[in-house]
Amino acid sequence: MPILEIKHLEKSFGDHQVLKDISFDVSKGDVTCIIGSSGSGKSTLLRCINFLEEPTSGTILYHGKNAATEWKKTEYNSKVGMVFQSFNLFGNMTALQNCVVGQQKVLSRNKADAEKQALRFLEKVGMAEYRNARPAQLSGGQKQRVAIARALCMDPEILLFDEPTSALDPEMVGEVLNVMKDLAAAGMTMLIVTHEMSFARDVASRILFMDGGVIVEDESPAVLFTAPKQPRTQEFLRRVLERQL
Amino acid sequence: MNLPSTFFEWVGFLLDKYGALFLRGTGITMLVALSGTVIGFLIGLLVAIVRTIPLPHGHWARRLPLRAVHFLLNVYVEVFRGTPMIVQSMVIYYGAMQIGIRMPVLLAAILIVSINTGAYMAEIIRGGIISVDKGQKEAAVAIGMTHWQSMVNVVLPQAVRNIMPSIGNEFVVNIKDSSVLNVISVGELFFMSKSAAGTYMRYFEVFFITACIYLVLTFTVTRILRLLEKKMDGKANYTIYGSQSDSKSSIRVNEEEEEE
Ligand SMILES: Nc1ncnc2c1ncn2[C@@H]1O[C@H](COP(=O)(O)OP(=O)(O)OP(=O)(O)O)[C@@H](O)[C@H]1O
Ligand SMILES: [Mg+2]
Repeated sequence: MPILEIKHLEKSFGDHQVLKDISFDVSKGDVTCIIGSSGSGKSTLLRCINFLEEPTSGTILYHGKNAATEWKKTEYNSKVGMVFQSFNLFGNMTALQNCVVGQQKVLSRNKADAEKQALRFLEKVGMAEYRNARPAQLSGGQKQRVAIARALCMDPEILLFDEPTSALDPEMVGEVLNVMKDLAAAGMTMLIVTHEMSFARDVASRILFMDGGVIVEDESPAVLFTAPKQPRTQEFLRRVLERQL
Repeated sequence: MNLPSTFFEWVGFLLDKYGALFLRGTGITMLVALSGTVIGFLIGLLVAIVRTIPLPHGHWARRLPLRAVHFLLNVYVEVFRGTPMIVQSMVIYYGAMQIGIRMPVLLAAILIVSINTGAYMAEIIRGGIISVDKGQKEAAVAIGMTHWQSMVNVVLPQAVRNIMPSIGNEFVVNIKDSSVLNVISVGELFFMSKSAAGTYMRYFEVFFITACIYLVLTFTVTRILRLLEKKMDGKANYTIYGSQSDSKSSIRVNEEEEEE
């Protein structure tokens, strides 16, 4: 049974409809990459999934129960983690505190346990040495790795990534993608919006191509990158791949 | 009796004679200004937090209670920012008397300054909250924090740091403007000075002393707050830990100390 089911999700801002009848499932261990041109609604989709935006209609089922009504919002949000393009680390806290505060306030863990967990994940993303640094003292790639550790500390079941490397200098992209590859290899369920086509091809178990607020194609990377069926997908890939691969 | 003849003799004479009076006035001025600023800050904080609660989705009737509260808070802010504190003190003090409440003047003074400051602070704090990138608030919500938790742990500490200069400014304004409370006979510095001046009719000398005291107060407070700001910024350096077990291998990194 899938852990997350998106059913007929729609979202409008005023009379501008950004998401149209989006439906798909996510099963445990899936690494789903969402690709598509700018403005196609990828960010909005992720933000609707964790209710940073209120969907206009449709349902989201988490373990078969309606996420909006049958789950406590804070519990659901702690289970569905999010990594942002602009990191969004808490500026008033050190790297360690960034990873500890959610565990203490949301999961009611005690300080010692929370710090142990935080160090474990900071270690995993290679940022344990910088535990006492504040966000303003870190590079973009370092910030994003701390942000990933912060999300992992909550023991999420699914992680959403919204273009986690788009705000990074090229030489820092690799360090973040490597962390994400490790997570994928460890069986983490992830939903990743990305413009990194080679990463998507290598890591994803499945690719969703979005255009104009709809999912145009939903395929394995092997099929989507070599034999896309839809003309819109072909057109998009031709444009992007000649720049990237 | 031999009265002084020069300006400085008068100043010395008045200080000698009314030193205790000046001191009492200074004490009350500081008490009113400090408690007014602190309580006003708390009022402003509460108002600002309530004003930032997101409106519930769904039927418009669910938004009605919060809308009503927002409206009342706006009225409060507009009224107290839009009228002079000297008028507010008259209205509140004599208004309370009219409905049978005789407030001790000191209590009335602190109440008036607090409510007045609260209205300004609400706007200042709102500005501070807006100054904190809203992505941080979203990140807090995305790991499961409630509105309240994300405000208290993430947004407000940074908002308050950003508005420290304005808070200090309010404090300084309160030290000076508490002088208008003499209209309801609060024994603050201005009121005490007036009574000291009256006896010998030495207004210039007395208020010269008074001006000096106000200046020393505001100058000292400004410096102390500047120090506090520095402290809130935290350490400009951090430690890189070589490995978890061996703390001796840690390296300290110093950033350039920034100067304003
Ligand atoms: N808060 C908002 N209010 C109004 N319109 C919005 C809002 N957020 C997004 N939109 C609109 O929704 C559409 C989809 O935006 P979205 O950010 O989801 O695209 P995207 O696929 O993530 O693009 P990009 O690759 O540039 O990040 C855009 O046309 C955008 O202008
Ligand atoms: Mg986007």
